[in-house]
Amino acid sequence: MSTLKPVLSRTFQLILVLWAVVTILFLMFRLMPGNPLAAYIDPTFTLEQQEALIRQFGLDESLLRQYFTYLGNLLQGELGYSFRYRTPVAERIWLLLPNTLILTFSSLIVAYIFGILAGAWLAWRRASRAEAFALPIVLATRAMPEFWLGMVLLAIFSFSLGIFPAGGTRSAGTEYESLWSLYTSADFLSHLALPMLTLAIYSQGLPLLLMRSNMLDVMKEDFVTMAKVKGLSPYTIVIKHGARNALLPVMTSFAISVGYQLQGNVVVESVFSWPGLGRELVSAVSASDYPLAQGAFLMIAVVVILMNLIADLLYTFLDPRISHA
Amino acid sequence: MLETTVPEGPVIRIFRAMKLPVGDNFAMAGLIIYVIFALTAIFAPVLAPYEPTEILYTVDYDLASDLLPGQEGHILGTTSLGRDIFSQIVFGARAALLVGLTAAFMVAFIGTIVGLISGYYGGWVDTILMRLADVAFGIPFLPFVIVISAFLEPSIWNTVIAMALVLWRDTARVIRSQVLTLRSRGYVEAARVSGSSDFKIILRHIAPNIVPLSLLYGSIAIGWAILTEASISFLGFGDPNSISWGFMLQDAFASQALSRQAYHWFIPPGLAIIFVVSAGFFISRGYENLLFPKLGR
Amino acid sequence: MSQPLLSVKNLSIVYEVPNLDVVAVSRASFDVPRGSIVGLVGESGCGKTTMARAFTRIISDNAKITEGSMDFDGKDLAKISEREMNDLRWRDIAFVPQSAMNSLDPVYRVEYQMHEVLRGRGGMSRSQAKARAAELFEMVGIEANRLRDFPHQFSGGMRQRVAIALALALNPKLIVADEPVTALDVIVQRQILDQMRALQRDLGISIIMVTHDISVVAYICDRTVVMYAGEVVEDCETATLLSKPLHPYTMGLKNAFPDIASAGTGILTPISGAPPDLARPPAGCRFAARCPFALDHCRSVSPTLMSFGDDHSVACHRAHEAEALRAQAALPETWGEIL
Ligand SMILES: Nc1ncnc2c1ncn2[C@@H]1O[C@H](COP(=O)(O)OP(=O)(O)O)[C@@H](O)[C@H]1O
Ligand code: SF4
Ligand SMILES: [Mg+2]
Repeated sequence: MSTLKPVLSRTFQLILVLWAVVTILFLMFRLMPGNPLAAYIDPTFTLEQQEALIRQFGLDESLLRQYFTYLGNLLQGELGYSFRYRTPVAERIWLLLPNTLILTFSSLIVAYIFGILAGAWLAWRRASRAEAFALPIVLATRAMPEFWLGMVLLAIFSFSLGIFPAGGTRSAGTEYESLWSLYTSADFLSHLALPMLTLAIYSQGLPLLLMRSNMLDVMKEDFVTMAKVKGLSPYTIVIKHGARNALLPVMTSFAISVGYQLQGNVVVESVFSWPGLGRELVSAVSASDYPLAQGAFLMIAVVVILMNLIADLLYTFLDPRISHA
Repeated sequence: MLETTVPEGPVIRIFRAMKLPVGDNFAMAGLIIYVIFALTAIFAPVLAPYEPTEILYTVDYDLASDLLPGQEGHILGTTSLGRDIFSQIVFGARAALLVGLTAAFMVAFIGTIVGLISGYYGGWVDTILMRLADVAFGIPFLPFVIVISAFLEPSIWNTVIAMALVLWRDTARVIRSQVLTLRSRGYVEAARVSGSSDFKIILRHIAPNIVPLSLLYGSIAIGWAILTEASISFLGFGDPNSISWGFMLQDAFASQALSRQAYHWFIPPGLAIIFVVSAGFFISRGYENLLFPKLGR
Repeated sequence: MSQPLLSVKNLSIVYEVPNLDVVAVSRASFDVPRGSIVGLVGESGCGKTTMARAFTRIISDNAKITEGSMDFDGKDLAKISEREMNDLRWRDIAFVPQSAMNSLDPVYRVEYQMHEVLRGRGGMSRSQAKARAAELFEMVGIEANRLRDFPHQFSGGMRQRVAIALALALNPKLIVADEPVTALDVIVQRQILDQMRALQRDLGISIIMVTHDISVVAYICDRTVVMYAGEVVEDCETATLLSKPLHPYTMGLKNAFPDIASAGTGILTPISGAPPDLARPPAGCRFAARCPFALDHCRSVSPTLMSFGDDHSVACHRAHEAEALRAQAALPETWGEIL
């Protein structure tokens, strides 16, 4: 299989990058000012708890030994105990990850559907008044601070108009039997609406601009001209040949956007009190809950790196010039 | 088209070498915004009617809090602590300019040096530098800046350094590939064979072709830096001694400006950010059109 | 003689560029008889592609047909409605581009692109299209199982065959081939030209063969139209053109190319100089600046295309002296003097 090799070499590269990021994370939290034990131990822990953690993370040993212990623990999914919640960090992270992923993917899917259609349309109407009007607006949406957009939407749709709730994932006092029934409830979706819209408005610019400029390029290709010479229908020419080819790099950018979005989530989750990884990271850092902060950072980094890999592989699989080499 | 030859002074020649995108409408709009922005920052003490953190009182010695635009002579009103919003906006331009320029400079500088070395020398140096860039691409940007800003003492410099530590990657990759194409050109090869030193070749033949690209990435980084600083300040990890637009938004958010519908408080800082950051985007767009011209755009 | 399949009269095509007009084809006239291969030859930039594409009326956004007619089977291609024109596209007039690589969509299998035409334009069912595609591949000498491949998986020569198979798909009356073999090496060129000749005979279609290479014309074309700077300067049977050219430009072209059939050994003499700027063509004969036989008269008065003997047209003031000029033109020195 000719496609196996790039997959393997990229995967190997991913492992290297992951290792490097994990090492940076270790150094970041170990070299910070203050007590070296502070990365895992809170003074309010009981003595037995403290001793157990010192043993588990080798905190009384040399930095190098600690590093290997840290790597070993990571491989077993062992991230320590949250100072504030007194629960394993991993447990907390797994609880929050779905919320972050739901927010990220729903907003990006909306952003991409809109961006692709609008981008293709703007390419079609190039040099028109619609374009002169739309392009600066699109550029301006990319220049907005996401959290500010969130604040504005929150003020208008929640506080002024009262259409959507102000934050969180569910109304006070509601209980659901399972996560699934929570995620599919109208209550959850109405809580999702504003943060999702915020991130979608912010993210649509990239697919829109990419799609537009790709379409403009593709429509000048020989095969598009030949499709016209063949007398094919405008739909076939614009959609099947034009858009299909222009879409390729846009699809790849989706995976990269997931990575970027995850980072941007940090602020938007904070504005909407959305219980996700980003907000958790911020509150953990503020509260000096270092194990939890490390865990959240690590999880975000893993998704970012994974998405970079997927972007590469997507390209490999979507482009027959590479997949059928 | 008419072509006139005007004798060129040194200033014009420098500008020409930088290939400033003066012909492009978008870019010109951006440059004008930048000039206004820079002047505002420089003359902030003159333009602002009050100290940005000064707590103000009305003529009857009441706290001048939550005034609406126009009330008591406050152009944009006041915050709930009785501070003048317009003055804060004006002084916020200083923080933004400082962050934007220093970050852009560092990003463009580190990125260009890394890209130059990587592309010019190739081999294992290149491999190592580019793997480092891969790692930088694997670091979640905002979380990284948050953690660094929180651990080191909160200051604008730490935020800027944290940004530069990650953002050099994009510039480095682009510069590297540009250097690779330049290196394969005849005259660089010829200069090498004729025994010119690497330093001379880089300075003479490669650097001039790279300056515009560095400027392009620098102008993109200005926007990123201002947005990032705003996020960091909004989350409460910013420099407590500087009034930035992000700080204003954090202040408004924490003071329930949203539920009290104090739009006059949190709308202006956001617009100021959009204004300045889009100016950077406009300029970089103009640069792109200039550096990578494509017909029909 | 029966009506020609295509009769071009006084055709002019202009590219509008800011502040100026490039007249890429100016008042060109020639006929394409039924069941023949007509060569359209001339240097790069003389307007061949512009004219070839005009027969499909898919021309650049900034191009305009400003005058003249193109009578195709009783319809003037310059006048008919867009709907009528689109009916003719590919069903009656097909096109083989220079680079089949760029003219096939890289993301679809060749089969898909074949079906697109057969079903979308030919109204065939899926199974009919499948059979027809296999048949077409067989006609151009490619195994039918390669239909499942993507364009980039074919070699250059194979791709041109695919392009020819595509052109034949709907049994057109006319195939316009724009430099179909230019990018290929001589051996493959010959194979493909042989095949085109055979298919043209079997199917009784007509081909317009656009090329800058007079040896391609010599190898395959029944008739040849020579273009220079947007104008037709000579038009006759290929055999006559090669043995008794009347236009000095044709004489020069002959010296400039090797013979495709015999992998020629003769010395090649290029015509020195460059063609004029089509945005500002000179007064008089457009070839005058490079013509070794130019007279003062040539530089002020434009020669018109005139019948000269049986079925032979030429645009040159000195055509009546052609015999003497041919003798001089055969000498390399003749072409060397001019800078
Ligand atoms: N889209 C266009 N706009 C302006 N001029 C063009 C355009 N396309 C071709 N031309 C000009 O028209 C002339 C004829 O071009 P073309 O038909 O491609 O020549 P050929 O196929 O014989 O090489 C050339 O001078 C070319 O520069
Ligand atoms: S008209 Fe005169 S210049 Fe033109 S080709 Fe004939 S001889 Fe030469
Ligand atoms: Mg051509």
